[in-house]
Amino acid sequence: MRSTTLSRRRALKLGVAATALPLVHIRTAGAAGSVSIVFFDAWVQAGNTAMKKQVAAWSEKNKVEVKADFLSTANNQIVITENAEAQAGAGHDAYSFATWEAPTHLDYLEPMDDVMARLATTIGPPNDMAAYLAKSKGHWMAVPSSSGGQLKGCVGRISILKQAAGLDVMEMFPAAPGASPGVDGWTWEALLKAAEACSKAGKPFGIGLGTTGDSSDSAGCLFASFGAELVNAKGEIAVRSDAVRQALEYAQRLVKFLPPNAVGYDDASNNRALISGQAALIFNPPSAWAVATHDAPAVGADCWHFPPPAGPKGRFVSAVEYFWGVWKFARNKTAAKDLIEYLSQREQVEERCAATMGYDMPPYPSMMDFNVWADETPPKGTLYNYPIRPWHKAEAHISGAPAPPAIGVQMYNRGTMPTMMAKLKSGESIANVVGWAENELEGFLRG
Amino acid sequence: MSAAGIATGMAVPARRPSRMERHRRWALWGSYAALALFVFVFLVPPFYVLMTSLKSDQEIAAQAGNPWFVHHPTLQNFIDLLSMPNFRGYFINSVMVALVTVAVSMVISVLAAFGLVRLGFKGSATLASGVFLTYLIPDSLLFIPLFQVIRSLGLINNVWCLALLYPTLAVPFCTWIMIGYFGSIPKELDEVALIDGAGYLRMLWSIFIPVALPGIIAATIFAFTVSWGEFLYPLAYLYSSDQKVLTVGIAGDLIRGDVFQWGKIMAGCVMAAAPPIVIYAFLMDYYIAGLTAGATKG
Amino acid sequence: MVDGTRELAMAAEPPRAAACRRWRRLLHRRSTVALLMCLPMILLIGGLVLYPALYALYLSMLNRRMTAFVGLGNFLFLLHRLTFQQVIFQSSLFAISAVLLKAFFGFILAHLMHNIPNRHQRIWRGLLLVPWVIPLALSTLGWWWLFDPSYSAFNYVLKDLGFTPVPWLGVAWPARLCMIAVNVWFGTSFFMIMYLAALKSVPEQLYEAAAIDGAGAIQKMLYITLPMIRNIISVTVLYSLIVTFANFDIVRILTNGGPEDSTHVFATYAFQVGIQSGDVPLGASVSLFMFPLLAVFAYFVLRNVTRRGKEMAV
Repeated sequence: MRSTTLSRRRALKLGVAATALPLVHIRTAGAAGSVSIVFFDAWVQAGNTAMKKQVAAWSEKNKVEVKADFLSTANNQIVITENAEAQAGAGHDAYSFATWEAPTHLDYLEPMDDVMARLATTIGPPNDMAAYLAKSKGHWMAVPSSSGGQLKGCVGRISILKQAAGLDVMEMFPAAPGASPGVDGWTWEALLKAAEACSKAGKPFGIGLGTTGDSSDSAGCLFASFGAELVNAKGEIAVRSDAVRQALEYAQRLVKFLPPNAVGYDDASNNRALISGQAALIFNPPSAWAVATHDAPAVGADCWHFPPPAGPKGRFVSAVEYFWGVWKFARNKTAAKDLIEYLSQREQVEERCAATMGYDMPPYPSMMDFNVWADETPPKGTLYNYPIRPWHKAEAHISGAPAPPAIGVQMYNRGTMPTMMAKLKSGESIANVVGWAENELEGFLRG
Repeated sequence: MSAAGIATGMAVPARRPSRMERHRRWALWGSYAALALFVFVFLVPPFYVLMTSLKSDQEIAAQAGNPWFVHHPTLQNFIDLLSMPNFRGYFINSVMVALVTVAVSMVISVLAAFGLVRLGFKGSATLASGVFLTYLIPDSLLFIPLFQVIRSLGLINNVWCLALLYPTLAVPFCTWIMIGYFGSIPKELDEVALIDGAGYLRMLWSIFIPVALPGIIAATIFAFTVSWGEFLYPLAYLYSSDQKVLTVGIAGDLIRGDVFQWGKIMAGCVMAAAPPIVIYAFLMDYYIAGLTAGATKG
Repeated sequence: MVDGTRELAMAAEPPRAAACRRWRRLLHRRSTVALLMCLPMILLIGGLVLYPALYALYLSMLNRRMTAFVGLGNFLFLLHRLTFQQVIFQSSLFAISAVLLKAFFGFILAHLMHNIPNRHQRIWRGLLLVPWVIPLALSTLGWWWLFDPSYSAFNYVLKDLGFTPVPWLGVAWPARLCMIAVNVWFGTSFFMIMYLAALKSVPEQLYEAAAIDGAGAIQKMLYITLPMIRNIISVTVLYSLIVTFANFDIVRILTNGGPEDSTHVFATYAFQVGIQSGDVPLGASVSLFMFPLLAVFAYFVLRNVTRRGKEMAV
């Protein structure tokens, strides 16, 4: 909890000029063995520091030497190394898998049912999406983890949304427990009206239509809330459905109000649009706001986080979920499992969540009430509605679900849904877009 | 303009010296003008990088005003980077690996090229082509099976694995460049040398290397640049900061998720570009001086 | 020095027959020496790259879960995908036009540089080398700023001059041209250096002799310069073509293949389907798609270089 006493400015500075070597090599006197693990290199270095501290505590207690490497998602380092290790059948004992990496490596992973059963008694079950990604034939193949997890709800400019669109987001989603007054009125139709108003005011919504994660995630939660599945759970192409048509008809209206360069967006573009004050709203975890508080304090203090709008079929929040898995080829499976179990307990998760200023999102419904989200400023309570609160009537969603993960992963990484929206923006007809998607999806069905 | 640049550049024959001189002068000024234009175009992005590196985070984030100039210049990005112990380590690692790579690659390539083109053995042509064909398997695929090789050598997360890997990227091209140069040296030279009783190595050292020196220096520059800029291998095989090199170090430390430390990334670019530019400019001076001296001797 | 020795060689013409016999006797030893000289290279490439290269080829012939050997099945599958057909077109456009432009501009630059007095060359060389010496993965981030969707520095200038801003990376053709431009910017200096070194090694006397014979600029270019630097041009172009076909950083950083897949090249597409989407064999086939064509091309280019080397030598 020490890190919460740092000012954010200082924490951000630390994040950059951090002295910390992303390597822990903990030697304990009389170590009974060793275990190696790859962690997600936290967005704020304080997150790594907290992790190292916890690993050291476990190492001390169990007399096991731990070699921990923190691999970055920048340039996909964590994914590249993971593929190399999987193919080589050698490497670390345990690894951190981002969203789709767990399902694509199920064959290489050790079942974790024992750990999950014990965790169920202490922290309860994870959300459905975790099971969708990491459960195979009834077995848990990896443990859902908060480290690196995010939710990509809305972050909007309080003043612009109020002035241009007449939305008082602080009133709609106050930083207080109990029903949010604005939750039922916050629909995609409402977002469309606001998008139009803000676009006319010269502050369009920074929703990307590129092919990177953020674009896939915002398109995914839109499609899901219309019940639009491109490929259904049985693995059949379902793109010619009323639900998909409805979603596309809506998208056709929305894309008109998105910035002209939305198709060229990548994961950093929406951040920059918000921080520079050019966008009234983006779909992003708190990183954009956190940087704004340092680089553009006026913008930072004018940001509020709230869930995405609801559609006919409900409200879905796109999630990035991380997993800790143990390779089949691991040398020290018992120790790896034990370490993972230790790090998954509520106390540890909360401590790391606080260190990352609320960024790390646990995929466990029982952990949506950490204090950090109520405490973070400015403005006070801006992160209160970043986690999924029970009264949001929302659920976590993975863009690409419920298609079998082998297909979903391709839809996500190839950006099928945002590309459909991009095609609408460039003026193509819905029929054309559906035809294109059908051809594209056929290519994903390869066994 | 460029075509004209060449035409004037090559214009020489003239009957009267005065006219020739005039032509030469025009050709010279034409060359300078064309070069200036190229330099201008080439330096637009580096100029922008330099400007951005002098901006504060706030100025970059504001995205207002003329982006081509710094309104409140600051050296903070450079100071921050230089005071990062990590960054200094990356720099030293990069330099060490590049130097070793250059030395190893050049020795291997020059020897091999000489052996292949001047001596030869059964299947030497096939071997030479085969070596070059390894480029056809891009590093973005090769890194997967290579992991196993590097691991069995115990060099995962060890910066020296790059001193083994980079030569594989440099040697085939350098070898063929040297084959090209050695190939254009008249065969009579060998015979004379052999008649003189010189051994092959001495022949290589005292005849071939001096004659092909421009090629050797060009290949050296190539090898250095390859190892200076390579990205994927260090990304896949190096994990801890004390082992990383400049490229992945900058990208990894200053890009965190969707947060880019733009000012420092750009400052890193500037600092990464400086040493090779200085080295190359002087290295090439040396070879050109040496060459012209040699040429006028004849 | 070259010429000094050449004269010697001329003088040594009469005892040539005797030398020939000695040559033959040496032949055996000669190939052994050659092999020894190539040994470091053989060890390096054979030890490090040979197995991974063969494994990569094998990998491209497996099914998604890597449980069955499918031969060329992956390649056939790819050929039928509309998106991949687009990738083939885009990659070829990118690589071929970029290499031609680099070769062309590099050639011009080398001549311009060769033209100016040596003592003035240092500063120009230094400046012109800048694009090539900044690690591409970093300099592309700078380009990204210049093309940025919301705050392009180019658009700032365009707006200032009264033109409409261009969505550089947001529309297919501008985005494609931007990729090519960045690659040409990066690689032209490499060609310049290689050509310049080749030009410097052409003996000045050849030109002087030609001038005495009354040869014009064009004749000198055609009959002296080009033949003398042909080997270097071929090897440089071949290398550049191969690595440009495999280029990854520029597209990954600038567009990640977008908009609407219009800028995907083999490497970025391979990365998306192979590494990111868990279909490593398909990714491998994408990476190796050009292998046969480029291999044949490389074979002929390299054979010509070797032949010319032999001709010169004989």
